[in-house]
Amino acid sequence: MNEAEIIQKLQQGNEQAFRHLVENYQKRVVNTCYGLVQNTEDAEDIAQDVFVEVFRSIGSFRADAKLSTWLYRIAVNRSLNHIRDNKKRKWFQSFEDAVKEKKAGLLHYATENPGTELENLQRANILHEAISSLPENQRTAFTLNKYEELSYKEIAEIMDVSVASVESLIHRAKT
Amino acid sequence: MNCNTLHTKMIFFLEGELPEREMEEIKIHLESCTDCAAFAEEMKKTLAVLETDKTPQLNPFFYTRVKARLEKQAEEKVVTQRIPVFARILQPAIFSVLLLAGIYTGIKIGQPAKINSDQSVYTENEMIPYLNEMEAEAIENFLME
Repeated sequence: MNEAEIIQKLQQGNEQAFRHLVENYQKRVVNTCYGLVQNTEDAEDIAQDVFVEVFRSIGSFRADAKLSTWLYRIAVNRSLNHIRDNKKRKWFQSFEDAVKEKKAGLLHYATENPGTELENLQRANILHEAISSLPENQRTAFTLNKYEELSYKEIAEIMDVSVASVESLIHRAKT
Repeated sequence: MNCNTLHTKMIFFLEGELPEREMEEIKIHLESCTDCAAFAEEMKKTLAVLETDKTPQLNPFFYTRVKARLEKQAEEKVVTQRIPVFARILQPAIFSVLLLAGIYTGIKIGQPAKINSDQSVYTENEMIPYLNEMEAEAIENFLME
């Protein structure tokens, strides 16, 4: 089933086509969300919402962009909204709760990746913190480049900016 | 090249994104500087975490969950559509009237009781008859006798 067929069938409400779409893009969407929110459970939750939104708004999808670009765009927007909501929530959260949440996150990472040494856990923590501290657009560009291995051109299409801007964002994110 | 400059260029060096001349310069520096070599090794290991990070295990129930979420949302939509217009408009209207009535009653109860002005004037001007205690206690005189 090619992309045009999938879109056409989705617009007719075909369940088989929707299943095909979810199975084909699940990994990419979850991975993108994970790269941005740095939490497996939240990433999966957001990814589910992404597919629900796709199913609901496929009628308004015009084929001027690729289906994958559209999916990435929704995933990025939803993840960034989640981060903003989390920031507001954390503002009211006590320091103790924040520490507990961080520990739970690390524990979850350890159980998700059994056999990970303590040193690697610390490295993962440093990496996650470094990514989380990046401004939104740098984080998005970095995630799409590193987690999804997308080209600068594809990232530019998703973020709706020029290729030169993407280059600059990734360069700044790395320094 | 000093150590600080090298640190800022390390990630580009590890990903091979620097011009050949700079790559060579860094290689030479790393051979002679143990601190920078250790830093490079640590950064290499940290970046390697990305590789394990970017392949999260796929949830086999993912599609089922998406489907359940879709169905749940559809049900919620039907429930909200089923509530008749009468209930959606009349209910808030009744509650608003009750609320206003409550506020009005509260204000009325909270107001201090009105003092009857005529009565107060009367109270102020009321003549208190003088009581001559000596005369009133005639019994004492009686006892003393």
